[in-house]
Amino acid sequence: MQNLLKILLRYSNFLVFIALEVAAFMLISLHNAAPRSSIFSTANSFIAWQHEQLSEIGGYFSLRSQNEQLAAENAALRNALSAQDSTQIWHYETAKVVQMTTDELHNYLTINRGSKDGIVRGQGVRNSDGVVGIIRTVGPNYSVVLPIINTHTNLSCRFAKNDYIGTLQWDGKDSRFAMLADVATHMVVNEGDTIVTSGLSPVFPEGIPVGIVENSVLKEGDSFHTIRIRLNTNFKRLKYVEIVQNAHQQELEQLQHGLD
Amino acid sequence: MDWTKQIGRYILVMVLQVLLFNQLQLWGACHPYIYILCLLMLPITLPHSVDMIIGAAVGLVMDIFCNCLGVHTAACILLMYVRPYLIGALVNDKDRLNEQISLRAIGMEAMFKYVVILVVLHHLTVFMLAAWSWAHIGFVLLETFVSSVITILLVLGYNTLRYR
Repeated sequence: MQNLLKILLRYSNFLVFIALEVAAFMLISLHNAAPRSSIFSTANSFIAWQHEQLSEIGGYFSLRSQNEQLAAENAALRNALSAQDSTQIWHYETAKVVQMTTDELHNYLTINRGSKDGIVRGQGVRNSDGVVGIIRTVGPNYSVVLPIINTHTNLSCRFAKNDYIGTLQWDGKDSRFAMLADVATHMVVNEGDTIVTSGLSPVFPEGIPVGIVENSVLKEGDSFHTIRIRLNTNFKRLKYVEIVQNAHQQELEQLQHGLD
Repeated sequence: MDWTKQIGRYILVMVLQVLLFNQLQLWGACHPYIYILCLLMLPITLPHSVDMIIGAAVGLVMDIFCNCLGVHTAACILLMYVRPYLIGALVNDKDRLNEQISLRAIGMEAMFKYVVILVVLHHLTVFMLAAWSWAHIGFVLLETFVSSVITILLVLGYNTLRYR
């Protein structure tokens, strides 16, 4: 017993080191699996507020391009309004981007809407050009979005021309491009083909633009195409986004949980 | 040890880190983490385990600003664990380290080795843990190299200006 105590005392620093590192690794794996707490993220009110103030200052330098973007969006909305059908499942909530990264492997953006505005984890985020990402962490006033330019993201997409389904993934290299996986070799892929959301998940309605095929490579022996997609959304200049809310989301989730 | 000085330095580097260096989106691989300056220069008068707990706290705060809970915490704990052994290997006269570890206290050669080893260790750990897979190892190494060079220059530059 005394020997054991001696050994423990002798290596106490190393034991403290191991204990702290184990705690840190548990934090990492918990956070990678499902970041539940908004306090320890940029959805934290104080930190998001600080970023919002900072983006206010930068905002003045891009007023002209924002005006153009808003005008284009107005036109698109008017078109959508005239084509609206009677069964309204999808609701849109606008939000401002207060912070974002575009050049890391795991990029995130923070928006100034939270649970007080009805934002729930798992809702889709888009802008006037196309898909942006999915809500990941929700605080009372701010939320963190997992954009499609994050190597954790998988998004179900389809070709607009023939409804063939693929999975959009990001390779971590360039915020303008992503890869479309799971497209079998018998499918004919042309440059310029349009890729839209598939509507298979309750996150996005069908047909929101994602991007166009930049190039497609078929290596010998591969069973899938390697397709590079030029994304519609310009993440470097993202200022305003819309959160897509599905009125039936709760019901759909309950149904899916019932199956598990 | 002068606590006000240490805490003042911590606040200064955190403000610079969050408001300036975290906003750098110029080159894809450039993410210098200069906040570790306050850990590097902390005197080694405290017990080793207290050192590591300070490292964990500093790392945790940084994690919140980066949306990467645990990554900086793990890297800073590792940095604080290695630090006294490295100082032991590099410096013979430890009486001069009561105030802080600086260029004036340990000289250019030892300070250069000390900063390079710890900054590269910290940055490599951060980028490896943030990537959390071997698939991006090339990019991680490039990111470590570019960011470490910037951090090392800034830490040594600060020392040259203030503690030559």
